[in-house]
Amino acid sequence: MKKILFLYLTLVNIVFAYNYDDVILKAQASIFPKIILLDKKIEDKLIDGKIIYTIVYNKDDYLTALSIEKFIDKNFQGQLDKYDYKINLVEFENFSLKTEASAIYVLNQSDQIENIATMAREKGIISFSYDINNLKKGLMFSLVIEKSTVLYLKKEILFTKKIEFVDALLQMVRFVEKDYSYQNDKNFQNRLNSRIYYASIFSR
Amino acid sequence: MKEKIKSLSSKIVYLITVVTLVSILLIFNVFEKINKEAFYNIETEKAKLVLSTIEPLIALNIYLNLNDRIDQLAKQLVTNPDILAVKVLQGDKVINEIKSQEFDKNIDDSFIVKNDIFQPNSKKKIGTLVLTYSNKNYKELIDRYTTLLIKVLCLFGLFFLLFGLYVKRLLSPLRDIAQLVRGYSPEKNINIPFDHQNNEIGFISSALNNMQQSIQQYSKQQQNINKYLEEKVDEKTVELRQQLYTNTLTGLPNRRSLLHDINHYEEGALLIINIDDFKEINDFFGHAVGDSILISFSQNLANMITREDNATLIHLSGDEFALLFVQKPTKNEFIEFANTLLKSIEKMIFNHENNVLTLRVTMGGAYQIKEALEKADIALKSAKKQAKDFLLYDETLNVEQQYKNNMEWTKKLNWAIENDRITPFFQPIYDNKTKQIVSAECLIRLVDDNKKIISPFFFLTIAKKSKLYSKLTKIMIQKSCQYFEHLDCDFSINLSVEDVLDENIVSYISQSIKKYNVSHKIILELLETEEIENYEEVSSFISEMKSLGCRIAIDDFGSGYSNFEYLLKLNVDYIKIDGSLIKNIDTDANAQIVVETIVNFAKKLNILIIAEYVHNEGVYKRVQELDIERSQGFHLAEPRNTLTL
Repeated sequence: MKKILFLYLTLVNIVFAYNYDDVILKAQASIFPKIILLDKKIEDKLIDGKIIYTIVYNKDDYLTALSIEKFIDKNFQGQLDKYDYKINLVEFENFSLKTEASAIYVLNQSDQIENIATMAREKGIISFSYDINNLKKGLMFSLVIEKSTVLYLKKEILFTKKIEFVDALLQMVRFVEKDYSYQNDKNFQNRLNSRIYYASIFSR
Repeated sequence: MKEKIKSLSSKIVYLITVVTLVSILLIFNVFEKINKEAFYNIETEKAKLVLSTIEPLIALNIYLNLNDRIDQLAKQLVTNPDILAVKVLQGDKVINEIKSQEFDKNIDDSFIVKNDIFQPNSKKKIGTLVLTYSNKNYKELIDRYTTLLIKVLCLFGLFFLLFGLYVKRLLSPLRDIAQLVRGYSPEKNINIPFDHQNNEIGFISSALNNMQQSIQQYSKQQQNINKYLEEKVDEKTVELRQQLYTNTLTGLPNRRSLLHDINHYEEGALLIINIDDFKEINDFFGHAVGDSILISFSQNLANMITREDNATLIHLSGDEFALLFVQKPTKNEFIEFANTLLKSIEKMIFNHENNVLTLRVTMGGAYQIKEALEKADIALKSAKKQAKDFLLYDETLNVEQQYKNNMEWTKKLNWAIENDRITPFFQPIYDNKTKQIVSAECLIRLVDDNKKIISPFFFLTIAKKSKLYSKLTKIMIQKSCQYFEHLDCDFSINLSVEDVLDENIVSYISQSIKKYNVSHKIILELLETEEIENYEEVSSFISEMKSLGCRIAIDDFGSGYSNFEYLLKLNVDYIKIDGSLIKNIDTDANAQIVVETIVNFAKKLNILIIAEYVHNEGVYKRVQELDIERSQGFHLAEPRNTLTL
């Protein structure tokens, strides 16, 4: 029965789940936790002295979220620099202002992304997005692999008082305007099409 | 050699040049050193700035493991031409190293700066960033700076050189003024042209022009004063010359004038006229009368000389005149003139109050102009010595011979003293009544190596000159006292005033008298002819000798300025009348009168009288007739080396 259930779930996932780029997922799993530490006000965001990295996912993307959790644990071994961390997997429907999170990582395909982004802003925590298009919906950070790895940051974050990144980060990211449309950005599309994968980057 | 002018303006220019050069070198070196260091620091700071700028990005990329972005950053860095290489180390591991194309070319002129890489938002060191930075910029900067500095300093130097030349030009009028003033003299008017300038040079020029006027005025005043003084000096010179060459008493040319004339003329003859015993007139009648007689005498002489004689009358000294014949007469004429003159002078009569005075003169002549005065003087002295009225100089009177004689006699005297050849001879003195010898006069004699007996006439004067006189006196005293020590007879010894004044001799006399115990036999004869100027000392000597028991006699009384007052004061025991009064007493009435006067005077004073120079019977008789107590002379006995009583 269990086997049948697992198979069912797997199949359902395979059938209904979003098709994620594994390289991007790994890249984001490697870099986003580190970016949390680049917030000068990280101390304000600790919960019980720990960094809570909450992965918000669609029910169909549970396996993807799980694989990201494993990848992060494998990479960081439960320690982000001097801080302990904990990864929470929370479905879109279950995410609320009460959800414990020092930062959230939002996977794709949900109508609630804008709501999640609003809550994240209210909570004053960093929100990472798998899909760069979700930055349009209010999430802060995303990562795209073009010719090289590029971090995108929504420009509005600069006006958030609860988050203050180190200056160098602001120098290396690309800012995204509020009404920016990636589909209309031909340069972006070209860069995206000609991306080069540097597997070694994510080999940690 | 003319001394080179040390130009002040040139000195200023040289100094400015030297100071400028030194300053330029100093400034150049200091500036170059400071600026090189500053430029190097700038370049280092630039490199460090690059490092500090890029370090956070590199740090973030290392932190996020974005090695491709590190590589991009490194590549961007080496696009900067000053950055030759970028090396990123994570720990000891080089994670990125990129070199520019210029690396190999410029590596020698480069420096390296390093910066630690810290984890973002943390103090944790995660790596090292090494930058190889090119020196090219620094070198270019230095080259540009050096070139600029050299240009500026050259301009600076040029400016100061021009400034120096300007100063030299400003001061050049001073040199012109100096050249003008150098040739200045009060007689010469110079125009100093810069007095219109309204500056220091103008002031100096103006002041010099004013000074020139003052000097000229002063010079004119000085010239007038000098002219006046010169006139006065000329007047005084004439006056003094006249005084210098004229005798103030008679107005005749004096000795200096004579010497001048003698040197001036090549031929001539000289006659010196000395008035005999003129001192007596002065002493007896007074100097005013003496002067009056001299003036009259000179006038009479002048009247005797005719123009044809070609002779100049000169007043040499008080009683001495001279006649210089500037046109030489024949020798016979000269001698005849002298004899005529003598006779004429003897006939001259000078009246003073009720006295009629006549003069006798002695003359010495030189029949040559060369050393005429000295030679005429020698002739005069010889004439005096030989009691002649006139002598003409000839070689036999040569004083050199006399000097030679003197030297020989001195030598002979010394020999005689050393060889005991000075000996007393004794001439008896007789009592005119008893005809017995009552005493003897000890007379000095020198026995030469041929045993010839030599009279003191030949050596006594020389003995006085050669300071042997005191030795002779001592010998005479010692030998005479010794001779009469055991002889029952009085004896007399001659003493001069010089002996009496010599403490050493006086002491010796005392000692000898005591030693030979002859105080009651000895009679000390003091020469009357010698002037007793030191009366106090002589009187003291007599008192001292009398206290010993000695007796005192005045020798040659009547030969000099016989002063009876002295006889009274000196308390003498004997008077020996001078031989010159005695020798003709039998024929000369005047001598008899004088001797009679002396005898009368002496007898009243109870002074015993001795007549000297009794050389014949006539004189002896006359002496006895005059009641003179004692006689001495060749008629009675000659001096002998022994005394036979």
